[in-house]
Amino acid sequence: MAFPQLTGQMIAFMLISLVVIGSAVAMLFTRRVIYMALMIGGVFIGVAGIYVLLNADFIGMAQVLIYAGAITILMLFAIMLTHHGHQEQTPVNGHTIFSVVAAGGLLGLLYWGFNTVDWAKWQSMSPKTDAPEWGTSSVKAVANSIYTQYTIPFELVSVILIVALVGAVILARKEEN
Amino acid sequence: MFEWLNQPFTPMTVLGMVIGGVIVLSVILLVVAYSIYAQRKILAAMHLRIGPNRVGPFGLFQSFADILKLLLKEDIVPAKADKAMFLIGPMITYVPSFMVLAVIPYTATHLFTAELNVGVLYYIALSSISVIGVVLGAWASNNKYSIIGGLRSAAQLISYEIPLALSILGVILMAGSMNIVEIVEAQKNMWFIVPQIIGFSVFIIAAMAELSRVPFDLPEAESELVAGYSTEYSGFRFAFYMLAEYVYITAMGGLAAALYLGGWEGPLLPGWAWYGIKAGLFIFLTFWLQGTFPRIRNTLLMTFSWKVLIPISILNIILTAIIKIAVA
Repeated sequence: MAFPQLTGQMIAFMLISLVVIGSAVAMLFTRRVIYMALMIGGVFIGVAGIYVLLNADFIGMAQVLIYAGAITILMLFAIMLTHHGHQEQTPVNGHTIFSVVAAGGLLGLLYWGFNTVDWAKWQSMSPKTDAPEWGTSSVKAVANSIYTQYTIPFELVSVILIVALVGAVILARKEEN
Repeated sequence: MFEWLNQPFTPMTVLGMVIGGVIVLSVILLVVAYSIYAQRKILAAMHLRIGPNRVGPFGLFQSFADILKLLLKEDIVPAKADKAMFLIGPMITYVPSFMVLAVIPYTATHLFTAELNVGVLYYIALSSISVIGVVLGAWASNNKYSIIGGLRSAAQLISYEIPLALSILGVILMAGSMNIVEIVEAQKNMWFIVPQIIGFSVFIIAAMAELSRVPFDLPEAESELVAGYSTEYSGFRFAFYMLAEYVYITAMGGLAAALYLGGWEGPLLPGWAWYGIKAGLFIFLTFWLQGTFPRIRNTLLMTFSWKVLIPISILNIILTAIIKIAVA
């Protein structure tokens, strides 16, 4: 295996991967909920970095705005407003064994999946338009697909989100009466 | 020379990155030091006082004396505080405030400016991370005033982020781009403050709330909450919270200048000087409001954002779209 050339991109990828994996592992091994919320913020930011490295800067920034900004804050809010005593270490039981088996199975499946795909041919698997009309701007690429090819699915998703939002408000109000 | 990301990683490029970062950092620290001095002098003039006048001629070195004092203070962590969170809270707040400066186009030649395709979104996204540091620091302090301040801060900053982003959408529609450099170039004929006056008004109000400046300084309302989320902080950790606040004022001034006031455009003077004047106007406005406005009532704060500012900014987007289609 040839050692990859050490461009800024390569180093950035390695550092970001370290941040993502490190935060994810740290999240699993901390015992306090608020640390977990902070660590998952680190995972979100790292994943946004990977999106940016893949030239999907709009998705990357949306990830930072929505997940790292809003959702992490919501989690912190919920944790701060509820009381948390000292969390005890949960003893090993059937549930733990089942989750270890499931996670191991998923790992094996992913390993098998990555090894059976011929990555040398990835360019032909997802063909790219040579000169798209929107140029290199990922914002325009996203807008182009949302407002031309996928308009109806996009609007349907918006309707579902609004229904969920209104439903949440109604459910929350019912308790007051 | 400034195409860094796709180059081989040589010592020269590393040196270039480090020098660029240090230059931007020292410029911004100088601006912050003198905007604190300007704040104290302007407020003093409005209150018919004299203001700082002891350290150096006209008190010009007062800010440096204050910074030195804060840096030399003992680093106190309260006994009942959550130590790790207490220590990293100020850093989480400060780092994004410095990172957003990457997309502010100070000069006509874009020295040290990242011409991101998603520049505006980058600014809004990163500035939303700073709230995490404030909330964490407040929670870790284990103090009721801190927690109330932190909760207020989170609620206020999240609510006012929406009208801020929606008012900027009007500008993005007019310019047809999220790249701040392209937005400035689209203002060659007319500054966007003229067609976007509604959006600009919403932007200024939401920006003051985002920065927690005076009509909206509830997170650290000193007469009710001691000092809000920073009550337990002292020394250089407190300095980091202060620094983040003032860096955000400078950055928001830069953003306002780029989005509405034509950025570096202007006759006679070089681009960076015009940029400084326009951003300086915004910074002056924040201090002016501080000297003239009372604090808004807590119960009115959320209502104002959700029931007044957001409908107005959505109306502004619709109007902008209609006018743009009608003109084209």
